[in-house]
Amino acid sequence: MSGDDGWRRLSVRVVYMDLIRAAFSCAVGYLGAVAFNDDGPVWALVAGSLAGFLGALLDLVRWMTTRYRVSAAAVEMRSGWAAKRHRTVARDRIRTVDSSAKLVPRLFRLRVMHIGSGEQASSFTLNALDSGHAARLRRELLPSAWDEAAAGEVLEDGADPAVEGDNREAGASHAAAGENPEAGASHAATGGEREAGAGHAADGEGRTAGAGGEPREIGARAAGGRGEGGGRGVGREVIARLRWGWVPLNAVSVWGPVVVVGPVFALYWFLRPFGVDLLGVGRELSGWDSRSLVWNLVLCAVILYPFGVVGSAVSFVVENWGFELAREGDALVTRRGLLTTRTLQRDDRRMRGLAFREPLVWRWLRLAETSVVTTGLRQTVDAPSGAILPRLRLSEAREIAGRLLPDGRRPLEAELVPHPLGALRRRLGWAISGPVVASVVLLFFDGWFWPLALVPVTLVLAVVAYRSLGHALDGPYLVVRRGALSRNTVALQHGAVIGWTLRQSLLQRWGGRMTVGIATAAGERHYQAPDMGVEQALVFISGATPELAARFIEGGGGAAPGRHPALRVCTRSDVRAST
Amino acid sequence: MLWRTLQALFWGLGVLGGLGAVFWWVEAARGWLGPVIVGLGVVYAVNVVVMPGWRYRVHRWETTDDAVYALEGWLTKKWQIVPLSRIQSIDTESGPLQQMLGIATVKVTTASSEGKISIEGLDAGVARETVDRLREVTAATPGDAT
Repeated sequence: MSGDDGWRRLSVRVVYMDLIRAAFSCAVGYLGAVAFNDDGPVWALVAGSLAGFLGALLDLVRWMTTRYRVSAAAVEMRSGWAAKRHRTVARDRIRTVDSSAKLVPRLFRLRVMHIGSGEQASSFTLNALDSGHAARLRRELLPSAWDEAAAGEVLEDGADPAVEGDNREAGASHAAAGENPEAGASHAATGGEREAGAGHAADGEGRTAGAGGEPREIGARAAGGRGEGGGRGVGREVIARLRWGWVPLNAVSVWGPVVVVGPVFALYWFLRPFGVDLLGVGRELSGWDSRSLVWNLVLCAVILYPFGVVGSAVSFVVENWGFELAREGDALVTRRGLLTTRTLQRDDRRMRGLAFREPLVWRWLRLAETSVVTTGLRQTVDAPSGAILPRLRLSEAREIAGRLLPDGRRPLEAELVPHPLGALRRRLGWAISGPVVASVVLLFFDGWFWPLALVPVTLVLAVVAYRSLGHALDGPYLVVRRGALSRNTVALQHGAVIGWTLRQSLLQRWGGRMTVGIATAAGERHYQAPDMGVEQALVFISGATPELAARFIEGGGGAAPGRHPALRVCTRSDVRAST
Repeated sequence: MLWRTLQALFWGLGVLGGLGAVFWWVEAARGWLGPVIVGLGVVYAVNVVVMPGWRYRVHRWETTDDAVYALEGWLTKKWQIVPLSRIQSIDTESGPLQQMLGIATVKVTTASSEGKISIEGLDAGVARETVDRLREVTAATPGDAT
């Protein structure tokens, strides 16, 4: 099956499968158009058969045009006929090789191979290879993983073929984690975190991961319980424990009444079959019909609010019972939970920075939520955006955050440089033009003045937004802060920056400002510092990544005093390319 | 320089086609969107006449031994810098029209959605050369496993 230059095709069994699919579709179409044609053709069947037939044809075209190649340096794939695509991934970037198979392809012994390189989606999807070639490809890409992978393959082939759905073999990807512990663990880590969230003891998960490499290499692994987690107690230092003073801080929220609405409706639907109309009773008790809607809503909110607060307090306590944040050797470990104990371990090597989140109301109350910026942890419901501490007083959060980073620095307290006044003008402009445009649109309807009435609010928000803009360089960290309704401060290691994106709109060009986008593999994968002064931005970039910047920025880095830094002009343009 | 004009035509055809479709549907449905359509028509006309040339003049790119650097856009300019050690995959794509014109788009992807550079409208030969070179350099530059 190998062609010239080592280019290989997908399995020829795909063709057989597609031919059978096409034939089956034709048969269904025949049934719909002729056999059941009592009063007109059965259009659902005809349409289904047409779709199936076309799908099979397209799949055939895909088979004919797709080629892949594994060379010493890279894996390549070519596909497409009208729109051609050629993709290259260097061999040492490959982290995971997974395979999956659905019911029908399994009958043909076909596997879909997913080759991942740490991007958000898998880099390649080879759909489909027969199992022999799939095993060969995996052996080539991850030689050391071959033993485990083979074991997984045997197991899978022995399993009942009627199991439906995506049946991914975990063996290969975990083995990959063992071979390339730095990043392969991204897969294992998310798996581990899911396990932790589900409250399983994660025994099997732990063992699989352990087979590929030393268990400590896996970033966030669900420790089987307190026994295992505490067992290795190397240099254990408790950073924070749950304090009862935290409970009211986390229980009071604007959305208090909303917490109660769900259970109330659940109770209503539950009692209805027994002939109890809960809402009707409530309506009579409160005298609903004697007031206007607004007053009724206010009354509801007032009644429900205490319940909401109590509800969130209870759920906070249940979730964070026995909360403990500790440093064990070179990892941060959090344990919490009353009914299910959740243990989350964050390796220092994967830590790239810290972040504070301060929504508007909390900021007035001097509260902040702390999170860590790490690579390889997927954002889950259990740990949204890497949150490591509950809502705390800012001073307390700062004190704890100062002990989180392995190098003991406190970048989040660095003095931030404000952005140029032009940024304020731009925000004020938005604050006025937004409502004006809205009222112009509403001129056709009633109530055109309502958006204009909002102008004072938007003006205040614009000032707030401007005041929260800021950036700084603090040792090995860069710090950016932004946001009006929710002010976010992020400190990121210089080494975690994997690229810069500078944007400049027409107005920003006249005002000498630009928006700096920081690409990173950690945390939200993308942070922004809007409306920096051009000079500020270039100094910022030169300070964070001096080697990279030296090639693209002239006169930066303070090397030539008196000269303004500027972006160097790229050498290649399309003029040269086309002539 | 032939493909530049053709690319302008490509943009123009695409946009006008879209506008025509919108016009057709809207006329059949509601009359009061008329002024909006006229306004959009003017915007699109400017777009067709001015935008391709402008974008073309702005667009610049460069690959060195340790980074890819590109500038694109017209009203909003966008500079992008990605070090080669962070590159995850390199793509060459060319749609039907691009194939007809013998041009291609080179895309360089990193682990961040923001760190993705696409260099559009390269001569197919140049694109091939660039990708080959990038592939060699990337394979020689050890990734740092972020």
